[in-house]
Amino acid sequence: MAFVSRGFRGRPRRDVDTSRVPPGQYVVDDFPVLSAGPTPHTDTGDWSFRVDGETDEPAAWTWEEFMALPQETFTADIHCVTKWTKLDTTWTGVSVDTLLDGVVTEAEHVVAWCDGDYTTNLPLEDVTGGRAWLVHSFDGEPLAREHGGPARLVVPHLYFWKSAKWVRGLTLTVDDRPGFWEEAGYHNYGDPWREQRYWSD
Amino acid sequence: MERLTWRVATVSDLVDETAHARTLVLDVDGWPGHVAGQHADVRLTAEDGYQAQRSYSIASAPEDDTLALTIERIDDGEVSPYLAGEARAGDGFELRGPIGGHFTWRVEQGGPLLLVAGGSGLVPLMAMLRHRAARASTTPAVLLVSSRTAEDILYRDELARLAAGDGLAIHHTLTRGAPDGWDGFEGRVDEAMLRAVAPAPSGEPHIFVCGPTPFVEAVADLLVGLSYEPASIHAERFGPTGG
Amino acid sequence: MTDYALDGNVLAGVLVEALGTELTDAPRGCQSCGAVNPVGAHVVYQGAGQVLRCPACGDVALRIVTLAQCHVLTLAGQWRIETPR
Repeated sequence: MAFVSRGFRGRPRRDVDTSRVPPGQYVVDDFPVLSAGPTPHTDTGDWSFRVDGETDEPAAWTWEEFMALPQETFTADIHCVTKWTKLDTTWTGVSVDTLLDGVVTEAEHVVAWCDGDYTTNLPLEDVTGGRAWLVHSFDGEPLAREHGGPARLVVPHLYFWKSAKWVRGLTLTVDDRPGFWEEAGYHNYGDPWREQRYWSD
Repeated sequence: MERLTWRVATVSDLVDETAHARTLVLDVDGWPGHVAGQHADVRLTAEDGYQAQRSYSIASAPEDDTLALTIERIDDGEVSPYLAGEARAGDGFELRGPIGGHFTWRVEQGGPLLLVAGGSGLVPLMAMLRHRAARASTTPAVLLVSSRTAEDILYRDELARLAAGDGLAIHHTLTRGAPDGWDGFEGRVDEAMLRAVAPAPSGEPHIFVCGPTPFVEAVADLLVGLSYEPASIHAERFGPTGG
Repeated sequence: MTDYALDGNVLAGVLVEALGTELTDAPRGCQSCGAVNPVGAHVVYQGAGQVLRCPACGDVALRIVTLAQCHVLTLAGQWRIETPR
């Protein structure tokens, strides 16, 4: 083992509830801000969201139209590939099922694309069935810009790099198209419970 | 360049620079030497194997026999409360370095020098000034240090002694209030302050700016606005709140 | 730039670990705008991994994913990397 420093203990580490905290993760109380680039600044007046790609009926919403859709408030645990887990986070937004309602497609994949150059890819079945939301509020307050405001994707069952900040659309694709981090070495799917961090995990 | 290896650093002395910052003077077995401006990685391992690693700018001159790191104690930090709190003479930890090539200055590179420090951003710039002094260099140099209060100024007495020598001017500004009789600047670094102290752009100074990210970016923008060549401005950002 | 940005100097250690050489002084030519800047003068963001961006146009220069077993580097643009023999 490396040289042990007398008297160093590190941050107090709590006992981990393994039914809620995936392998290799630790629980945090704050909300770390991580970003692949500068924070975009899109006002809700300029914002729109699209569902397009492999479909004959692309759809789009302005902010007002988005806010007029059926809203849900939900609580979830979130897990970042950099090993922090935050329990009981509460979000408000629109289920992706609502956004995809009526969309006919042969696609089995989606690419979430965002202000800035960030993208991430997901199987279509992982953003449907009540497993993904387009959210505008965190803990009852409008989503801070640094955390993805005005709106971001939240897909709690996958590592949080899949919950794209500043998201502006979902493009339905027949082929799987690895996104920003998937191309760069992170796992294509990213299940925290199977610790799928790296492409060959 | 040889690959970096972890070496054991042993604390030989501790100097409390301010209420929040402490210098550790270290003996490092096999230390290969460094250039002013470089940093070192510090790794702490607990008995249960838990590890934490941080980078710290080297405060000492390359000419010194020992290595010095000045660490600012961050309240809810993990490593700095140990290094600048718990650690005592005889304690050890792992250290790797020196690291960095872009933010460095050697006397051979000449001047004039313009050094602008925000808080603990002074540490690598102090290594440059200590190197300059160790080599008895008279390269013209200006240091502008921004600190919160007079009590937060690092190396204040040593800076005053160095300024008594040839060709070095030290200027201070305080952003959170100055004591009675203060004859330095007050407030954030601004264009007027830089105009007053900095060597002219026509002198093509080597410029080093270090400190929290917002500080570094504000100062770099001001310097570009004052017609200093962007490629001559070396910046080292310490993150949102600094070192 | 935001309060969360750092500069390429912060990657000096991981680049030496990964590529065996000091790189912060190495020039990199941007694939989008053509600007040439030392790695140490590029802008660094910490996301799921680290991202190095061109200081002139913001386009991605390097993505670093660090895991227990390896570093994965994805480089863009023109890099000149000198390694000693």
